[in-house]
Amino acid sequence: MAAISPQTTFQGDIFSAPLVHTDKNLLACVEPDYKPFIPANSLRRMTRVLKIGLTTALQCINGSGVETIGPIVTGTGKGSLQDTEKFIREIEQYKETALNPTPFIQSTYNSVNGLIALQVKGTAYNNTFVHRGFSFENALLDSMMLLAEGAPNTLTGAFEEITAEHFYIKSRIGFWKDAPTDNRALYETLTPGSIAGEGATFFLLTGTPAPNSKAALTGFKMLYKPAEAKLAAALAEMAAGADLVLTGRNGDSRYEHYYQQLDTLLPGIPQLPFKHLCGEHDTAGAFGMWLGAQILHAQQVPAQWFPMLKDIPATAGKILLYNHFYGEQHAIMVLERV
Amino acid sequence: MEELKSKLKAQIIEALNLQDTKPEDIDDNAPLFGEGLGLDSIDSLELMVLLERQYHIKVEDPREGRKILQSVQSMADFIQSKQPA
Repeated sequence: MAAISPQTTFQGDIFSAPLVHTDKNLLACVEPDYKPFIPANSLRRMTRVLKIGLTTALQCINGSGVETIGPIVTGTGKGSLQDTEKFIREIEQYKETALNPTPFIQSTYNSVNGLIALQVKGTAYNNTFVHRGFSFENALLDSMMLLAEGAPNTLTGAFEEITAEHFYIKSRIGFWKDAPTDNRALYETLTPGSIAGEGATFFLLTGTPAPNSKAALTGFKMLYKPAEAKLAAALAEMAAGADLVLTGRNGDSRYEHYYQQLDTLLPGIPQLPFKHLCGEHDTAGAFGMWLGAQILHAQQVPAQWFPMLKDIPATAGKILLYNHFYGEQHAIMVLERV
Repeated sequence: MEELKSKLKAQIIEALNLQDTKPEDIDDNAPLFGEGLGLDSIDSLELMVLLERQYHIKVEDPREGRKILQSVQSMADFIQSKQPA
């Protein structure tokens, strides 16, 4: 697995990497040098999300030990916003004539998948899910079904970018906090809105544990706008045996009550929030899954990333991950050591 | 003509985001595709758009495009031939 995120997650040791912080209400990715991954002639044409998506996927493949990649399945809420914005701006600027093909081609959601397939010469099943807060989760579900049907492996991931324009549009509908909020203090004051984020996360999934496996996904549920009782029942059922909870808490007072259910349902089980690390975005759940797998594999929590917590668990054997996107798409996962 | 070629080189570098290339690196007569700058088919479409946006010249016939986009020299010759006398 691999991740490019607003934290230093792509290279180096995450257990010693300091917490990246800002009070801009927008967490942007720490970008690596792309040249070792992407030929210069291709790189010049790519916008940011294509670069982070492709590079993360290639790093994931490199670290997996797998030689032949099976289906490529991804999720994204918005795809390449930079290309979309450029293309739309040029339609207006040039009165619907003399339009560059590149931003249009790359604005399609499946561009990252196409680039990955071209680079690794992958001709298997290739699909991108675009379902807002369920984009990554649907990619994951599809991957699980492909594995159950006999696929040797799947390259499964998510990618998202935030642009200045999109940040502004979403601020108009109350996605972000009004006051500048340092991500280290995200959970201190509950007010409407959260902080924006972005990132790319990829996993090489197999149906049974392999020598390089980092963790196992042993439970998975998606609930769309669930009644609180239904959500509570699902959380209680899936939490059995969990010794750590990863939550998508994001400091938004309007939807905090969903996460507060965990406090009463699972008293005494430590909770780690992760949105101060990656920011809120449609596919933030993929970052949560990556973090959970890192903790399970290393049997260590990157404690320096949680300065707001007094008691940080040393390790975990079974993790319950609960995340929702603005109260609509709720995802529950169970991750275990392998 | 020299001024036009120099301007054209800068425009090509900007339009195609040729990050490590300077105008003086581009030979007037070197092929733009394959060898030389090593451009590809998407770049040819971008160059057609460049001609339309910067010089208001629309290349209707793709076969004509192949000849026009051979080199900076051939592009400049074409642009000059389309300028009002």
